[in-house]
Amino acid sequence: MTQTAENFSVADPDLDPETWVDRYGDYLYRFAVARIKDQAVAEDLVQETFLAALRGRKSFKGRSTVKTWLSAILKHKIVDYLRKKYREQTTSDTDTITDTVDGFFHKNGSWKIRPEQWNLDPSKIYEQREFMDTLFKCLAELPDRQSKAFMLRELEGYSTKEICNALGISPTNSWVMLYRARMFLRRCLEIFWFNKTKEENS
Amino acid sequence: MSHWMFNCKEVSRRVSESMDRNLPLYHRMLIWMHLLMCKYCTRFRRQVKMLRELCTSHRLDENSPDPDVTLSSDACGRIREALKSSSP
Repeated sequence: MTQTAENFSVADPDLDPETWVDRYGDYLYRFAVARIKDQAVAEDLVQETFLAALRGRKSFKGRSTVKTWLSAILKHKIVDYLRKKYREQTTSDTDTITDTVDGFFHKNGSWKIRPEQWNLDPSKIYEQREFMDTLFKCLAELPDRQSKAFMLRELEGYSTKEICNALGISPTNSWVMLYRARMFLRRCLEIFWFNKTKEENS
Repeated sequence: MSHWMFNCKEVSRRVSESMDRNLPLYHRMLIWMHLLMCKYCTRFRRQVKMLRELCTSHRLDENSPDPDVTLSSDACGRIREALKSSSP
């Protein structure tokens, strides 16, 4: 049986907002700092998370723990923050990339913009913080929901079901969004990371 | 498109989908047959998987936060105040 917040707010101290900062403050803050790397922003996001939880307390059904519920809210706040941050930094360079899947293919379904060779070792790319910066800049160029679907799937490890619940879409819709996102991001990284690195190394 | 053969557009879509759900065996076979003959789709598949690998390493790295990082008492006070003033 599921319980609403109101049913067990007295019995369950976990749902008493007065206990949240002591119980979950440090956990959420660490989580945010690890992703954002900016302590002041992380503090703000933790505060926003608690306030959003306070507003949405009645909708908490007790299907997950309070910790998981608060973490999910924080993850959304982080995704929104990163999108906003990188959106402010982006230029119109990516306008040259086709934003429709059809643009990548000829009418007969063969590649028009063929995937190029990436001669790089993924373990070495990862050491370079600039790679993630480029990825986030490319993500910021995608339509909101596509980019959010990708971030939740690949950066937060959400399942299809969790993405559908978070974005209010059908599984088929989520697969289409992820496909479009991958098509665009692959090309965007090819142009702004792999080709650039190739030129620098040559 | 023939029913027994996927084109590149179809393969790229299915390859992406296979990263989010299990595809029927029949579709997996059609993809596999196409990949044997098409270096661009093979490249596409390798690259989107690499993208996942990179995101996963990034995520795992972030999921081991420093246990010494804690909210300052000032921040705790501020957040408590904000919660109190927003409480109904």
